[in-house]
Amino acid sequence: MIAERSIVVRTGIELASPLAVVVAAYLFFAGHNQPGGGFGAGLVLGAVAALRIVVGLSAPRRPVVLMGIGGVLAGVVAIAPLLFGDALLDQVVVDADLPVLGTVKSGTALIFDLGVTFIVVGLVVAVLLALGGDELAGEDRS
Amino acid sequence: MSDSSIIWLLLASFGVAVLVLASRPWSGRTAFSIAAVPPALTSVCSIVWLAAGDSLTASVTWVEGLGLEVAFRIDALTALLGLIVAGIGVAVFVYAAGYFSSGAAGLGRFAATLLAFSGSMLGLVWADSVWTLFVFWEMTSVTSFLLVGHKYADPTAQIAARRALLITAAGGLVLLAGLLVLTGADGSTRLGALQPVGGTTGAVAAVLVVVAAATKSAQVPFHVWLPGAMAAPTPVSAYLHSATMVKAGIILLAVLQPALGDTGPWLPLVVGVGLATMLWGAIGALRQTDAKLILAWGTVSQLGLMVALLGVGEGKATFAAVSILVAHAVFKAALFMVVGEIDVRTGTREIAELGGLWRSMPVAFGVAVLSGLSMAGVPPLLGFAAKEAGIEAALQLGGAERAVLLAGVVGGSVLTVAYTLRFLLGVFAGTEPDGLTVAPRRPAMTVVSGLLGLASLVGFVLLGVVSDRVRAGAVRIDPAAEAYTLLRWPGLTTAFAISMAIVAAGAVLGLVLVRRDSAAPRPLGADAVDAMVTVTLRSARRVAGVVQHGSLPGYVLTAAVVAALAAVPFVTEIDVDTLRPWDSPAQVVLGAIVLGAAIALTLVPNRLGAALGLGAVGFAVAGLFVVQGSPDLALTQLLVETVIVVGFVVGLGHLGRDFPRFGLLWRQVRIAVSVLVGIAVAAALAAAGSRPTGAPPRQALVEESVETGGGNNIVNVVLTDIRALDTWGEIIVLVAVSVGVVSLARAGRDEQAGQRDRVAPETERELTEVAS
Repeated sequence: MIAERSIVVRTGIELASPLAVVVAAYLFFAGHNQPGGGFGAGLVLGAVAALRIVVGLSAPRRPVVLMGIGGVLAGVVAIAPLLFGDALLDQVVVDADLPVLGTVKSGTALIFDLGVTFIVVGLVVAVLLALGGDELAGEDRS
Repeated sequence: MSDSSIIWLLLASFGVAVLVLASRPWSGRTAFSIAAVPPALTSVCSIVWLAAGDSLTASVTWVEGLGLEVAFRIDALTALLGLIVAGIGVAVFVYAAGYFSSGAAGLGRFAATLLAFSGSMLGLVWADSVWTLFVFWEMTSVTSFLLVGHKYADPTAQIAARRALLITAAGGLVLLAGLLVLTGADGSTRLGALQPVGGTTGAVAAVLVVVAAATKSAQVPFHVWLPGAMAAPTPVSAYLHSATMVKAGIILLAVLQPALGDTGPWLPLVVGVGLATMLWGAIGALRQTDAKLILAWGTVSQLGLMVALLGVGEGKATFAAVSILVAHAVFKAALFMVVGEIDVRTGTREIAELGGLWRSMPVAFGVAVLSGLSMAGVPPLLGFAAKEAGIEAALQLGGAERAVLLAGVVGGSVLTVAYTLRFLLGVFAGTEPDGLTVAPRRPAMTVVSGLLGLASLVGFVLLGVVSDRVRAGAVRIDPAAEAYTLLRWPGLTTAFAISMAIVAAGAVLGLVLVRRDSAAPRPLGADAVDAMVTVTLRSARRVAGVVQHGSLPGYVLTAAVVAALAAVPFVTEIDVDTLRPWDSPAQVVLGAIVLGAAIALTLVPNRLGAALGLGAVGFAVAGLFVVQGSPDLALTQLLVETVIVVGFVVGLGHLGRDFPRFGLLWRQVRIAVSVLVGIAVAAALAAAGSRPTGAPPRQALVEESVETGGGNNIVNVVLTDIRALDTWGEIIVLVAVSVGVVSLARAGRDEQAGQRDRVAPETERELTEVAS
């Protein structure tokens, strides 16, 4: 296993993973007002997930499921307005006063963006695994 | 009056079909009883509608901008046709529960497909918009393809299904063209509101529509698919041939008759095709030795009669056509069910191996006699009254039309009597041949076919009711039909005399031919269709072999050269004055890094170095984006570069350390193409910069994104809100691409692992099967 041979890489990725998740979360929420967004967040999470799989750490291994979740989320947000007589993909904006965070403004576009994130994570994991990641993670090919 | 029950009934059909398909516990014969529920409901509704005599409509907006609607209308004609489709549908489902043994495979799939087909047919019958009609028309083509090919492992079924699809789908395209011409001329898409169309436009539309109807209703020369469709299980044959699929063309002709009936080519074309089909179908039926094929060819013949009568476009003839349609649905369904029962209980359908079954299968015998005589037009049965109306209609015409139609109807009817007799005597008369064993009765089959057999008689007894409904339906096509009724006893008229003469002549002919064994020839035209399929497959393979050669460098080179050539027209638009060397010193530095890394990339001999060079180019380009004031783009570029680095980490392990060596020529080609692409991209960018299309609507976008999107990052608001439909489309593309990449990568590795390519032998097998 590659993980047994390169303990440094493995540990490095393990330490970096939480940071990557924080960065992804930042990018995801920052996207509303600053550079960032669901696509970028998805890329970060996807790359980390793929690296974790390569070195044998725990990570989602069924990219199809992730893509499915993303597709359903985006699809629901897209179609739901039709049921209320609005146009396809019409978004609802909500203001909420939360403790600590203060006034938070959000909308259904955020859920749509979450769908994008899931799909991108699934895409990155699927493609990297298909290109050979799952073999690296599996038996060592001497 | 609007009524959403129409739409609920259709949704029920498709919904239950999906349920039956998805549920394992119902995959046995239970599936049939569940699948019978929607048609049963529809039958009840149809009877209520017929009794009420109202006209109902229902519509759902489909595409608002294009004025497309899914529209349905229930009136006397469509309610009657819907009752036939749904009523015989129920009978077929019950019958199927007896036909299949409990252990048969794929019953759930079969029931679901049959129900989906039934739903499609109902939609077709009820459609009020030409586009709704077209969509359901195509759905019947697809579902009937699946039904005919139900035993998909059987090469005969494969070929038959493919042939049926080829012909009916080609007809669908013709219909689309015809409807476009028709609605283009008329402007209305509502079937009920179509105005008569004349001139060349009308003539073109008429020809296209008639050809489409002919493919679906198995008219000469498109009839070859129908006898082949006998490869399907008998319940399907009973349904397709009596009540549904083949009637679709008749229905099309009927609903478009008011708009196209007055155009020049309509009458000669429809009548000519119909009569030719009637005669050729009857001759075909006489030459068959398989009982089911006799009936199938008989269907072709009867459809020809209906088409010819509809083509005349005269009140009485239209009335007769609708009467025959109703009578035919009843007796043909019963006859097919009898043949199915014989097939299941004796194991054969060849009339040479059958005989004397009247003793061991009395119910089937009774049903066959009633239905067969109804088909032959013998009183006192429904078929007699209908055919009598047809002969009357021919007699009423004048001049050449009268002679042609009368000759055709009489000739076809004599042959009909003959093949009916051949079928009845061949199967039931005499003594049972040695070695013929008859399995025990299956109640579901007997009861259903028995009821349908009696229906021919009951229909004659209650002729007044039938006649009223038929008249109400025919009036929709031609108001002149108002004046006619079906007669139980026409009196000693010319038509009656002709009718009796037909029966007598047909009886003689049938008795002569009954035991005459003729080698059943392949249907005329089937070879041509099969040859077409073979040639299509073969040339597709050849073309695919050239285009999809499988060489990645080849694809890349082709794409690059084509893209480069596409930039050529823009070269002349470059405005030298707009070209500036740089805006800020940082661009010089970053640009130099990009160039240096790109040149180094071409010189390094190993893959790791190339990957690093690519990364350098990518990150420097991201820096250029930052300098240019586009942080979103830069961020995305950086992240994508990062993921690509991870990709290299994963992928490089599988590749050799160094690039393979190339020959000098190949090297020169690559250099030439690279230079060409580089120049083309530079020229295109310079041209784009030379042609500013006004200031970007920045202010408007900012306001829009803050107000409606509630966010300050315009890029993201545009992506997730303002142009969310684009994003939605893009993520769908992403999913599709990842599926493609994953399967390609896996296929490539499987191949490396020594597994053989499985596609080519399969194509090979297909070709040999079609050719044999």
